Amino acid sequence: MNAVAADPAPSRRVGAFVEPLLGLAVILLGWELAARVLAGTFILASPLEVARYLAQNTGLMSRALAETLGNAALGFLWGNLAAVALATVAILWPVTQRTLSGLALLVFCLPLVATGPILRVLYGPGDGPQVTLAAMAVYYTTYVPLLVGLRAAPSSWFELIRSYGRGRGSELVHVRAMAALPYLFAGLQIAAPAAFLGAMVGEFTGAERGMGVLTIRAMRALDVPATWALACTAAAVSIAAYAAIGALARALTKAPPPVILASPDTSGLRRNKPILNAFITLVLALALWWGAMAAFDLTPFFAKRPGDVLEALLLAPDAAQTRTTLLAALGETAKLVVPGYLAGLALGAGLATLLTLVPAAAAVAMPLAVSLRSVPIVTTAPLAVLLLGRGPAGTITLVAVMVFFPTFVACLHGLRQAPGQILDVLRSYAAGPVARLVHVRLPAMLPAFFAAARMGVPASVLAVTVVEWLGTGQGVGALMALSASLSDYDMLWSSIVVVALVSVLGYAGVAWVEARILSRYAAEQVAR
Amino acid sequence: MTEPAEIVCTGLAKSFGATEVVRPTDLAFAAGQTTALVGPSGCGKSTLLRLVAGLETPSAGEVSIAGAPPAETLRQGALSMAFQDPSLLPWRTVRGNVTLALKLARQPVDAEAISRLIELVGLGGFGDTRPAALSGGMRQRAAIARAMVTRPRVLLLDEPFGAVDELTRQQLAEDLPPLWEARGATTLLVTHSVSEAVMLSDRVLVFSGRPARVVADIAVPLDRPRRASLSTDPAFLARTSEVSEALAAGMAETRPRLAAQ
Repeated sequence: MNAVAADPAPSRRVGAFVEPLLGLAVILLGWELAARVLAGTFILASPLEVARYLAQNTGLMSRALAETLGNAALGFLWGNLAAVALATVAILWPVTQRTLSGLALLVFCLPLVATGPILRVLYGPGDGPQVTLAAMAVYYTTYVPLLVGLRAAPSSWFELIRSYGRGRGSELVHVRAMAALPYLFAGLQIAAPAAFLGAMVGEFTGAERGMGVLTIRAMRALDVPATWALACTAAAVSIAAYAAIGALARALTKAPPPVILASPDTSGLRRNKPILNAFITLVLALALWWGAMAAFDLTPFFAKRPGDVLEALLLAPDAAQTRTTLLAALGETAKLVVPGYLAGLALGAGLATLLTLVPAAAAVAMPLAVSLRSVPIVTTAPLAVLLLGRGPAGTITLVAVMVFFPTFVACLHGLRQAPGQILDVLRSYAAGPVARLVHVRLPAMLPAFFAAARMGVPASVLAVTVVEWLGTGQGVGALMALSASLSDYDMLWSSIVVVALVSVLGYAGVAWVEARILSRYAAEQVAR
Repeated sequence: MTEPAEIVCTGLAKSFGATEVVRPTDLAFAAGQTTALVGPSGCGKSTLLRLVAGLETPSAGEVSIAGAPPAETLRQGALSMAFQDPSLLPWRTVRGNVTLALKLARQPVDAEAISRLIELVGLGGFGDTRPAALSGGMRQRAAIARAMVTRPRVLLLDEPFGAVDELTRQQLAEDLPPLWEARGATTLLVTHSVSEAVMLSDRVLVFSGRPARVVADIAVPLDRPRRASLSTDPAFLARTSEVSEALAAGMAETRPRLAAQ
């Protein structure tokens, strides 16, 4: 379970094996007790009920699991291949890097719940939408660390290659590819649960088979044991995939390169014109959108072009009505997603910080948090609806949990990156743990915190739209669900465009704050 | 200088933004000779080396190697550079790192010759070891083996013994130079150590503080092979004091500026 924990010393191996089991037993016991207390409330199924359900429906569950796993695996494959291809292009032709990254982010910010139904009409019957959504859920989280990894080598390694008259191709083959391996695996590890999540969201939005379909059915029938059994299976499979990739990574990277902050390779990025870059990215995105619709000769009834969305939002007779509806829905969503996002960030960073003051607690919390992070939180959205009802509390909690785990894990890692020598300097002045925290550890944590905060924006948008789609009947997620069922493609496409743009702006906003703060507190890490 | 010039720098200059690092310089290096470049820290001698290697583009002037731009020599795989940091790829063994140079230089891989060379630099038995398991001095030896395996016409050494302790440094300086001298490469060696410069070279160029300017060009007509015992020889001591004085004079040029800061 604790896939990321370092190789334990031989004497500790038994303990390392027993501790998680003990933790698991405690969790199961608490869960069972809670279920007994809440019996008859249709909220919580006990572990025994879950086990009984799984035993009685083994055939159904294993068929559904095989379906979803198959879709997730295909999506994982395609999504990661796309990430590797994009990162390779960005490294070989550095001028394309900003535009590529911008486009990749924009596509990643498309709300999956609304993209699902559109893909469904585009693809027709079959697994296409689920696979595509799984791929869309994974490629960005692989692309970003891979791009860092491909640059994470000392400049003299590249000069060595160039001193034999060889170019970027040789750099890629002999240096970058190997240096990027640990980063690639870190991305793949996060991608495994994300692919499962994407496949399930694809099934939420109208498939014939799979765990997502069973989940929707169980929710409608208020079948509590089934809902819990499905969520537990999704969590278990994701944790197993996460752990398996971690083990594979450790087996394959026997001589890992030293962890290096990305070298300041700014070739092609030197002229930093954010507005112009954003404009180029936007124009390219519109052209690609229009081109794709035209190339496949899709009917404009459901395959809207940029012009159609512009017309629906600005020019059509009912444009004002469309805008009012959309803005009202966005407002409702914002009231849930903003507090959830901020609470998740604050809790993640706060708890990680508190734990460094109590190192023993951190040692216990880390493996637990790492394994919980690998649970695709969105697949547990039905549980949040069951547990906390369809009101704002459930949605805010789910968004907060979605943001909390990655932030917490990133911050714990960041806090550990604090340079030992500087800590020793502070110790030599008898500085206490609080002073060390404020002067050394927190600044060291900032880059990891902001990386998590950036990725938290699309993640929380995904979480909120899924919960709204599945249960609450409010906000932009519900609006998209309604539009999809009414075949109101103008509204659906408009919502997708607006939600994606808002996500990108939120991401860019966090990146802006990050650049301002890091240039002061962690200047050496902004170089890249 | 009786040999023909292999490397010629004409009006060579380099600035990074407003900072002038190498002042316009004319230099010629005879084929098969070893020249040491000595100067204060940050004076631009490493930049000069990188200009010769074609890793930096000159702001003015040009470098030619055997009458052609450096890029041509690089393409032929006829140049090797050893860096201050051994820069071994951590996922390759010693043999793997040495072999990589041959592949990059598009030369046939002769496993036996590689083994001999690894033996020759004193790493016999460590061919299949990864860099992480080697000491600092052993890594430098591996880096030198990598630089020499392609039998380069031009060998550029940027403080090749800079990252190791003094004892290891002396040992490396005694063991390795005979290997590259025997191969007749035109060698440029950047170093901080005056005695190392005199011990290893046929000629010492002394640079001023930044921007780099040659303040002395001193021939070292001592017999080879040179052993550590040479360091007490009066002829050797005369050369080192000549280099030291030139170095001090060059640094004096920049000192008033430092005092003013």
